[in-house]
Amino acid sequence: MSYGKKDEDADLGLVKVDRTQVFQEARLFNSSPIQPRRCRILLTKIALLLYTGEKFPKNEATTLFFGISKLFQNKDASLRQMVHLVIKELANSAEDIIMVTSTIMKDTGGSTDAIFRPNAIRALCRIIDATTVQSIERVMKTAIVDKNPSVSSAALVSSYHLLPIAKDVVKRWQSETQEAAAASKSSSGGYSLGFSSSAGNLPMNNSTMTQYHAIGLLYQMRSSDRMALVKMVQQFGAAGVVKSPAALTMLVRLAAQLAEEDASLRKPMMQLLDGWLRHKSEMVNFEAAKAICDMRDVTDAEVNQAVHVLQLFLTSPRAVTKFAALRILHNFASFKPQAVNVCNPDIELLISNSNRSIATFAITTLLKTGNEASVDRLMKQVSGFMSEITDEFKITIVEAIRTLCLKFPSKQAGMLTFLSGILRDEGGYDFKRAVVESMFDLIKFVPDSKEDALAHLCEFIEDCEFTKLAVRILHLIGLEGPKCSNPTKYIRYIYNRVVLENAIVRAAAVTALAKFGVGQKDPDVKSSVRVLLTRCLDDVDDEVRDRAALNLKLMSEEDDDMALDFVKNESMFSLPTFEHQLVMYVTSDDQAAFESPFDISKIPIVTREQADAEDRTKKLTATAPTLKAPKAGPTKSSASSAEAAASASAQAQRYAQELSEIPEIQEFGAVLKSSPIVELTEAETEYVVNLVKHIFKEHIVLQFEVKNTLPDTVLENVSVVATPSEEDELEEAFIMEAARLATDEPGKVYVAFQKINGEGALPVSTFSNVLKFTSKEIDPSTGEPEAEGYDDEYEISEFDLTGSDYIIPTFASNFSHLWEQIGASGEEAEETLQLGGMKSIAGKQRGDMGTGHANMMDHRCHGATRKDTLPPARRWDRRARQPKHTYAQIAGQERVRRPRGGHGPDGLFLQIGRDDKAHGAKRGGERGGAGDCVGGMNRFSRRCGILMQQEVAGKSRRGCNDYLNSCTNTMSSVSVSQKSSSLVT
Amino acid sequence: MAGLFRKVYDWLMRTFWALEMEVTMVGLQNAGKTSLLRVLAGGEFTLDSIPTVGFNMKRVQRGHVTLKCWDIGGQPRFRNMWERYCRGVNAIVFIVDIAEPELIPQAKEELHALMSNQTLLEIPLLVLGNKSDLPQRMSVDELIDELDLKSIRDREVCCYGISAKEETNLDAVVQFLMKYANR
Ligand SMILES: Nc1nc2c(ncn2[C@@H]2O[C@H](COP(=O)(O)OP(=O)(O)OP(=O)(O)O)[C@@H](O)[C@H]2O)c(=O)[nH]1
Ligand SMILES: [Mg+2]
Repeated sequence: MSYGKKDEDADLGLVKVDRTQVFQEARLFNSSPIQPRRCRILLTKIALLLYTGEKFPKNEATTLFFGISKLFQNKDASLRQMVHLVIKELANSAEDIIMVTSTIMKDTGGSTDAIFRPNAIRALCRIIDATTVQSIERVMKTAIVDKNPSVSSAALVSSYHLLPIAKDVVKRWQSETQEAAAASKSSSGGYSLGFSSSAGNLPMNNSTMTQYHAIGLLYQMRSSDRMALVKMVQQFGAAGVVKSPAALTMLVRLAAQLAEEDASLRKPMMQLLDGWLRHKSEMVNFEAAKAICDMRDVTDAEVNQAVHVLQLFLTSPRAVTKFAALRILHNFASFKPQAVNVCNPDIELLISNSNRSIATFAITTLLKTGNEASVDRLMKQVSGFMSEITDEFKITIVEAIRTLCLKFPSKQAGMLTFLSGILRDEGGYDFKRAVVESMFDLIKFVPDSKEDALAHLCEFIEDCEFTKLAVRILHLIGLEGPKCSNPTKYIRYIYNRVVLENAIVRAAAVTALAKFGVGQKDPDVKSSVRVLLTRCLDDVDDEVRDRAALNLKLMSEEDDDMALDFVKNESMFSLPTFEHQLVMYVTSDDQAAFESPFDISKIPIVTREQADAEDRTKKLTATAPTLKAPKAGPTKSSASSAEAAASASAQAQRYAQELSEIPEIQEFGAVLKSSPIVELTEAETEYVVNLVKHIFKEHIVLQFEVKNTLPDTVLENVSVVATPSEEDELEEAFIMEAARLATDEPGKVYVAFQKINGEGALPVSTFSNVLKFTSKEIDPSTGEPEAEGYDDEYEISEFDLTGSDYIIPTFASNFSHLWEQIGASGEEAEETLQLGGMKSIAGKQRGDMGTGHANMMDHRCHGATRKDTLPPARRWDRRARQPKHTYAQIAGQERVRRPRGGHGPDGLFLQIGRDDKAHGAKRGGERGGAGDCVGGMNRFSRRCGILMQQEVAGKSRRGCNDYLNSCTNTMSSVSVSQKSSSLVT
Repeated sequence: MAGLFRKVYDWLMRTFWALEMEVTMVGLQNAGKTSLLRVLAGGEFTLDSIPTVGFNMKRVQRGHVTLKCWDIGGQPRFRNMWERYCRGVNAIVFIVDIAEPELIPQAKEELHALMSNQTLLEIPLLVLGNKSDLPQRMSVDELIDELDLKSIRDREVCCYGISAKEETNLDAVVQFLMKYANR
């Protein structure tokens, strides 16, 4: 064919396509008769312009569009295709695009195998607007179930795009979509590319892509209805129903998401995921393995099979397969190195792989899972190809080595040599920063390496192109240098910076220099620093001069103490507490709080060592994988804990506001805790009821939010009869009805209970509930409800008032400190509990406490503690951005972390939501108070089946985790330790 | 033999004397534009025709002349686009539902607004009173008066009563349009 030649010519022509020229040429569209070939070339040029980002101004686009609309219904099928393509692209910029709707609609049908049908469908959905969607409904429905996959796919994808515009209409196409998802259209016939001729027959393709599109659309349609999603996963997840691997991959992600969102679905979804590990498509295997490894608090047993499958892939002949498997293992090794251990022999074989990406991951994974003995060998291997890999991978390696330094301090010399070596290599800022920070950590945490590391850093700043890094290093030298054996050598390095660098670095150098002078005992050193600083008084930069002057003044002070305070203060505020207190202050609901300024003196001060120690623990456990794998598709990226905390507090504020506006409820005092929303009906029922439980000092208020979804009916005098199963603990105080509920207008019903046993009681109970109301139909002629209605009842689900409803997460900056404090005045009780109803707290607590709570107790010991005097605190912790894996699990919850250093009592740290001040005051001095609390606590914990554990002191961290795991897994009985106290006494 | 000759003749006619002309059909919604066009193109009349969103295009073949007919939607949102699709055509066909007298004033207003466009000067106008098969209909004379067609002097104007349903008088329509084909 002579096509090749022609294409070359066309290529040349297209390169210099010019917008204005094309616009001029567009007159061609109006000439009669139409010249299909020339029009096609012109349209191609327009398409090229549009695809390469050129924008036609509105008037030009509109003119073009009208010109093009003259070309419709041409006999030349390729021209029609081109027309649809260009119309689709012009849809956003031209006016009156709606004009072509009827014409395009004709092209969507037509003879069944016309080549332009998919193009027409796609164009149609771009030009349609919300008001006209209805008119294409029939066309779309038939296209979705068309026997040709190309047509069906085009219709499905178009519906996907229409969904946000016309949700209600598109939702009506569910059964067609379902049909498309289940059908396996594999039609015979070869695959052709479709520009063969202008006869225009649709090429048959026998891909199963339609299923992928159909499942994607179904998911979008049902995304608000969890039960429907579950059904969908189960129906299409069954073996053989869906052929397309891409569609299955989507189901994998969906299953993982469901398991994550609803604890009760975890088991069935896990089973499905397990099954997919054995699917014949690698893509599905990978996705399932990744989903399992990413699962919150995954147990060794659950992950076993996934790791095994990944291990098999490690020996695959294909590089991409090896890489994918290794990357998942690498990420997972950060959380559970011991689970990945089994793969080590296979990973070993990959460290010298010619594909450097694979080699890098192999080595870093081994560094995470390996033991001390293998470190040297691996480091040597890495050095071999460090210069051949990209910065991104270099950073991965540096991070791995940094953690390793802390883990095996005895290996520091080798690692330091390695780090200083790569510091001299070429590299961007991020890479250099990673190296420098690793060296900082060595200096901080591995004293033996200090002098060498400082020397390397000094050398580095001699020729450092990154101001930021130079400043940080200078600061560190100022901090550590004076304490070293030979401080003067650092002075030279610092002063060199004063002479050679930009103003920012100079200023930092001056400050660092001063640290050698202030409080200096050696008069020689002191005077030389003074000389150097005096020279800086002539600097051209204000900041440099100011700093020099200030420090000279401080050096000349007689009283060294003040100078030391200024320049060498080694203590600082405990930043997490500081941050928490500030947040508490600015988010206070109480006007009075703002009357006095924030009191900084209440913030505990910690020494640098203390801060460093905490930092070290954090870094040792910092598992955030670098080179993060992209998050699985539909999984909603969970808002960061900080955001969640912020929105939770805003919600609490809103409830408090609403409740305080009701006089009867106002009498109960301030609300201590509001639960998250509990759905008592499914979202699609006639009457939708949600519940919020509010805990008061002596009362419980149930807030039912009722929505009537029946059209043309009004509900009047709506009330809820909530009956607690424990009638001797709760007594109904009153019911506040919702007077009138029109269609889709939510209203609130409040039911208040008094705690019979007073404020100390923590009643738990199951409530059965009936919605009662008078239903009235609306007379269509008047729009008014009929005078006579009929009384009706509607049964809604039961719900539990559980222990978790009383628990408020609290902030513990220093757990062992608190524990000891309470220990002094409190009581300690131990008890063995049977772990029956463990699941119940798992589900409930998730929303209550979630990550925020877990992390508050970051790396600290935990005790089952009841503190009666600390104010309830909202959760807030910047460290909340921890990965979701924890080392020990309680009933699927990430609440218990390892004890620091493996000593100290372990357990669960809880605070009971009660008005503590009043409580304490009333009980003032009564020792009995504490005993009471213990009683309440025991009852409460027994009910909820909270697992608390203690006496793991002395056990290794690993041992402790295993211990906890075994507790949760076997549901055996465990010892419980509690402390309680009333600090006021 | 004669058949073959005929075929050759037709082919010659189409190739050397082939004429294509453009016609735009406008009018209020529900007047019967789409129905008429379908019937003219040899299709079946249907009662449940759906409103046109935007426009429709169909070719009507008569001998060696091809009529390229643009049928523009009559709903208010499309009316400002009529003028655009009338530009440069050989004839404008304005269709009125003569069984709905109360809509005539509106039709008249739209017609005169369209005719006042400078871009459409001298383009011949054919006004068709459609649905003459229905009982309560007005006559052609009444229609001419009601629409004040006499006041349109700057072009050739013609008015017929037709029925797309019964296919009454459609020949006259085609005859009229063909007159302007060779211009
Ligand atoms: N009795 C009768 N009904 C007709 C005749 N012509 C059209 N109709 C009916 O009138 C209705 C409207 O016809 P359409 O052709 O869709 O009207 P239209 O002018 O295209 O309307 P728009 O596309 O909205 O501008 C349909 O129900 C037709 O069946 C006719 O000659 N006689
Ligand atoms: Mg129409």
